[in-house]
Amino acid sequence: MFAIAPTRESQVAVEKQWSAFEAEAMPHATSLFRIALWLTRDQTEAEDLVQETLTEALASFHRFTQGTNCRAWLVSIMYHRHSKRRKATTRLHLVSDAEERIAETIAFEAPTPQNVTDEEVLGALERLPRAFQEVVILADVEEMSYKEIAAATDVPMGTVMSRISRGRSLLRGELASYAKAHGFGESDKRRISRVSEDQ
Amino acid sequence: MQCREFREIADSYLGNELIVETNHEVISHLEHCSKCRSELAARRELRSQLREAFIKAPENQMSPEFTQRLRTQLHDYAVGKRSVTPVSQRGWRSSVMVRRTSWLALAACLLLASAFGLVLVRQRISERSPQQGKEGVAGREPTPTYPAELNPGIPVSIVKTELARDAAGDHRDCAVHFRLAEKPIDLEVAGRKYDPVYVNLTKAVVSEQGEVPLGAEFVEAHSCVFQGRRFAHIILRYHGRLVSFLVTEIGDSNPAKTNAALASKGAQVIACSQFDGYQVSCFQTARHAVFIVSDLPEGDNLALARAVAPSVFAHITHAENPA
Repeated sequence: MFAIAPTRESQVAVEKQWSAFEAEAMPHATSLFRIALWLTRDQTEAEDLVQETLTEALASFHRFTQGTNCRAWLVSIMYHRHSKRRKATTRLHLVSDAEERIAETIAFEAPTPQNVTDEEVLGALERLPRAFQEVVILADVEEMSYKEIAAATDVPMGTVMSRISRGRSLLRGELASYAKAHGFGESDKRRISRVSEDQ
Repeated sequence: MQCREFREIADSYLGNELIVETNHEVISHLEHCSKCRSELAARRELRSQLREAFIKAPENQMSPEFTQRLRTQLHDYAVGKRSVTPVSQRGWRSSVMVRRTSWLALAACLLLASAFGLVLVRQRISERSPQQGKEGVAGREPTPTYPAELNPGIPVSIVKTELARDAAGDHRDCAVHFRLAEKPIDLEVAGRKYDPVYVNLTKAVVSEQGEVPLGAEFVEAHSCVFQGRRFAHIILRYHGRLVSFLVTEIGDSNPAKTNAALASKGAQVIACSQFDGYQVSCFQTARHAVFIVSDLPEGDNLALARAVAPSVFAHITHAENPA
């Protein structure tokens, strides 16, 4: 009795808006989930975060500028939501930048190891300090630009660039240490020298 | 380029983040250095392997059930059927929702009954004083929730009260609380992309020596979007308070009327109104509205607006009508 019946035009407009959102934003759901899982380290929380992010994006989709990077826009919303959730659940957040400072002081530039398995690569990534993991995932896995990462994480561009550089370097270092410990480098050298001798 | 230098920027090269000149130096170095070529290939391989391994990792996969549920819920939300239930609250939520829904229904009924009663009472009052009723309830335009502009010389269709409210909202959400959904972009970039008036607008407010009239201090200049409307946003600090200087395009619905009004008024600044506790002063050009928003006393806000208005008016008018 009191409900206002939607007109045919408004229904069409809503469906059109949904179709645009579905085509533009929904393909990034899996990418958002990976980032959410990394941020929360919990499957259910990650699903909540993805859901909240896409709901907020849908509500403000009229603000999205067509032709710009939709995934970067969504990741930016996700970081904002995640930050709000953390503020709501954590009274005191202790910022530990000790790992970061230690990592900054490591000046060793390792050569990039080869013949490592996927598990070893993911293991090495897992051992990086979180600040470095974050930028390496956003840059190398999600293929976001420095500028997009800076905007999404609300970290100055210079810091993002330096973290990416150190993060990649540390990742190579981790893998090189692993390879050395397990003799991969040595065997490669031997194999290469054998090939050279054969030729 | 030395091998050491190459190693430092090799990742940026892979990510296409280098400027053209440095790219050329890298390519030139790679042509002659097989060791660095090999290092670059190894890094490219590692990057690709990391990406594939991370994406394919079983724990990083979204379950098909969640994918389907997410799509359905978002679609229902889009068409207004229901709100989205967080995953963590599903299960117990349904029983809570039933109870909450019945309470909400009861509250809605009570509210409607009160509203109906109020309408009846008002009708009785208007019946008792028919003259008052004619001017009052029956034939009256909806009462605005905020006062209209004070300057009769400015056409209402140009400097709209909605616009002034948006300007106050943008000052609050961008300059004061910094909580806009969309990140602001560089003003000059926005000028090239959206509105040529934004180009060099800062120079109309801040002198080459970095000085702002009345000893105000320049804080930041960018372009931002509030409620779907794009603004050029220059932020100043005056007497310790943040002041937003906002310019937005308003079109030119009635050029003759606008030009006639402008010819007589020039860059006259008016005290527009107050919204959410913020003072809003404004003036307009043929196609733009300019707002000065702050929580300063009305006199200070107006004084600052009047001090910067002439140069800004001249800049915008010139940009609107390039010779």
